[in-house]
Amino acid sequence: MSEKNEFSRRTFIAKGAVAGGAVVLAGAAGSALAGCSSSTTSSSTTAAGASSKPGYGVGTPVRGGSLTIGLVAEIDGFYPPNNHWDTNGYLYAQCLYDPLMAIAADGSIQPYLAASCTPNSTYDTYTMTLRPNVKFHDGSPLTSQVVVNNYTALKASLLTGQALTQVASVTATDAMTVVFKLVAPNPGFTAGLATQVGYMVGQAMIDQVNAKVALPTPVGTGPFVYQNWQPNNHFTCTRNPNYWRQGLPYLDQITLKPIPDTIQREATLKTGGVDMIGSTDPNTIHRFQGQSGYQVVDSANDIIGEPSMAFVMLNTVVAPTNDLSVRQALAMAIDQSTIQKIFGGGFTKPVNGLYLEGSPYYTADTGYPAYNPAEAKKLVAAYTAKHGSAPSLQLLTITDPRLAQVVQIIQQMWQQVGIDVTVAQVEQADIINDFIAGKFQAATSYQFGAVDPDINYVWWSTTTVGPVGSIALNFPRNSDPVIEQALLTGRHTTDQATRVQAYQTVNKQLCKDLPYLWLEQYIFSEVATSNVQNFANPTLPNGMAGWGFDEGIFSPTAIWLSK
Amino acid sequence: MGKYLIRRFIQLVVVSFVISVLVFMLVHLLPGDPTTQILGANDTAANRAILLKQLGLNLPLWHQYTIWLNAAFHGNLGTSYLNHESVTHILATGAPVSIELIVISQVIAFAVAIPLALVVSRKPNRWLDNVSTTSTFGLLALPPFVVAPILVAVFAVGLGWFPATGYTPFTQAPLTNIHEMILPSVAITAGSIAVYFRLLRSDLISTLQQDFITMARSKGLSNVRIMWRHAFRPSSFSMLAAAGINIGSLIAGTFVVELLFAMPGLGYALVGAVEQRDYLVVQGLSLVIAIAFVIIQFIIDFIFTIVDPRVVRE
Repeated sequence: MSEKNEFSRRTFIAKGAVAGGAVVLAGAAGSALAGCSSSTTSSSTTAAGASSKPGYGVGTPVRGGSLTIGLVAEIDGFYPPNNHWDTNGYLYAQCLYDPLMAIAADGSIQPYLAASCTPNSTYDTYTMTLRPNVKFHDGSPLTSQVVVNNYTALKASLLTGQALTQVASVTATDAMTVVFKLVAPNPGFTAGLATQVGYMVGQAMIDQVNAKVALPTPVGTGPFVYQNWQPNNHFTCTRNPNYWRQGLPYLDQITLKPIPDTIQREATLKTGGVDMIGSTDPNTIHRFQGQSGYQVVDSANDIIGEPSMAFVMLNTVVAPTNDLSVRQALAMAIDQSTIQKIFGGGFTKPVNGLYLEGSPYYTADTGYPAYNPAEAKKLVAAYTAKHGSAPSLQLLTITDPRLAQVVQIIQQMWQQVGIDVTVAQVEQADIINDFIAGKFQAATSYQFGAVDPDINYVWWSTTTVGPVGSIALNFPRNSDPVIEQALLTGRHTTDQATRVQAYQTVNKQLCKDLPYLWLEQYIFSEVATSNVQNFANPTLPNGMAGWGFDEGIFSPTAIWLSK
Repeated sequence: MGKYLIRRFIQLVVVSFVISVLVFMLVHLLPGDPTTQILGANDTAANRAILLKQLGLNLPLWHQYTIWLNAAFHGNLGTSYLNHESVTHILATGAPVSIELIVISQVIAFAVAIPLALVVSRKPNRWLDNVSTTSTFGLLALPPFVVAPILVAVFAVGLGWFPATGYTPFTQAPLTNIHEMILPSVAITAGSIAVYFRLLRSDLISTLQQDFITMARSKGLSNVRIMWRHAFRPSSFSMLAAAGINIGSLIAGTFVVELLFAMPGLGYALVGAVEQRDYLVVQGLSLVIAIAFVIIQFIIDFIFTIVDPRVVRE
């Protein structure tokens, strides 16, 4: 709903995870615990002359060429322990670095820089063997000691350290073996190694940071080598001639250009200024769908883990939203389909919770209240009779024109059932402060995109609830022991059926407690000219298909340009 | 003139000092602090305390101010909390973009406004004057964020004459640079054209009724000579004053155009820093922009003394 970054799937580390076990999913043992059934990278359109499936390559890959990509926003740097990577940040990272583990198309976690990563029988120790003959851009080899040094920096960082509190130690037992000891069993530990804390940088970069170099030159093992970066203008990297994956990459050069305004970004694509653009505005899909010369890939219907959801968050400890009947009335008064028609560009479907149809965690009946203004009016009338006045609240949002429209519509819907609603817009930084401190009644947000449900533990746990004014990551302050128990069951079990049931329980319980009023899926899309081949169809080093379009993130390694 | 300029310079120094205090204080009065942005959801009391100490934000304000000002005098305006880029580097990369944008837009504005005003002021209230006055009134009502998308839709997407976004430094590719600069410059020049035209037209009409103009005409001087040599100079006072304020405002006011056209200028950097609570960047850029504004006013004052020496005597 807004292109400003909130808590997306990949910003989780950047925005932070506090509790241990925040970065998790399927065990290294395989996909038995994978949080999903299949990849659903969407193919919205096929333009004349383009591949049969958008984002998939057609014909023989061609070596050479330069690709320019328009991004939604700029990043703040390249060093995983220090910088905030969102969807855009991960694209820079995919050019320069490689992760230890990666997400496969079926949602399982597979080795990437690691050759293998095996847990012990109690899932509290993981032994990783590194892939041999991998070299950083400066020619230095990837060794276990470099990995350990990366984790020393990651754990010491205020930004990423909290996401690694579950890691008791990282040690090198020989030149190519790393042992991760956890503070508690976690069958899904390796999923975290596919996120920001899994991207390895060279010792030379760590040394630059230790020497207080302001903007350290990125040194990775990735398919492209850093050339230059002018913040807010462009970033350029060129083909790594010594890339450890034979024959890759195909492109000679990639240039990334942040173009914050959606319309201008689209215009730049149309005028040939860039070859690809990213967007979080569903109308971008609408505008390019079926247009000759373009191909569109989007995250609609993405069922790996949890998709990002747009919602209204309700504070469960301040009046009047501390009253369940008010929250129910607010939920029943929102006509989801109207909001989706206006703002979803026609690409979103009604949602009844955290998961989309097709996900193993999805249940048709979550108990989420259906649109029922008549019943909402009754609840409001009962509240008014009890308290002497109708419920009155403030709906908070950020300074974004599209969100301003959304909250106006919601305001009208709520007022129609007798709730007194005022609207306030604040800056992004301020709204996060308000969330953390619990200083809101109702607020728009989007969140919960995660490759595994357990990654969202911190946002729903009873252990992260705090009184208003104190710092709490359970922003709505919804303290539900049923949810806590289900979250812990989901985290510790090795049985997939039990796990699915646990997260279905979390989903249903959230629909019962109503700290969140679901609006629609938050869709990411990528539009490319038809000559850009294979940007959503990566192959992992072990030959498995990779997850092609992870909420706006894609791999540049196997892209080529057709003539 | 010397005394006049010295007095102005002392005022400049005093104003600059006041600005430095205000910039420093205002930023600290904003809600939130940079630790929130840096820590995100890791924002625990313990982490916040550590970070405040690391950043020196735990020191008394006056102490922070003296450290900051002393460093600024030595050319060190600090480093971004978020990406560790030095403020001087941000200035070095952003200033050429904004300055070029302002210079080109003002050249266009003067090139359009001055000849037009000179022509219509000779015969006020005729059709050309009415059309020009009405048109420029319309231009005043068109902010850059409205003009820019229209220009892009017509001249970039529609006709394909110019790129929709982008910036290439002049030193790298002069022709590409000029090509990329035209649409954003035009987008911000509309308001300037309107202001300059209307002020100059009004003053010219008034000047042309003065006795010395009648005298010049009676001496048989050509209209062109009368307009350029006799009428224009005394009539340009208001326009120059407006230009001083306008150019100063544009130093930070180009951010909308910079954002829309994805140009890495000072305004773009400043707005981004404000959103991110990047204190030192906000402080450094605001200080430089504000002082640049004051210096521009000083230069305009100096130009006044040339255009009209009576300023010094008064």
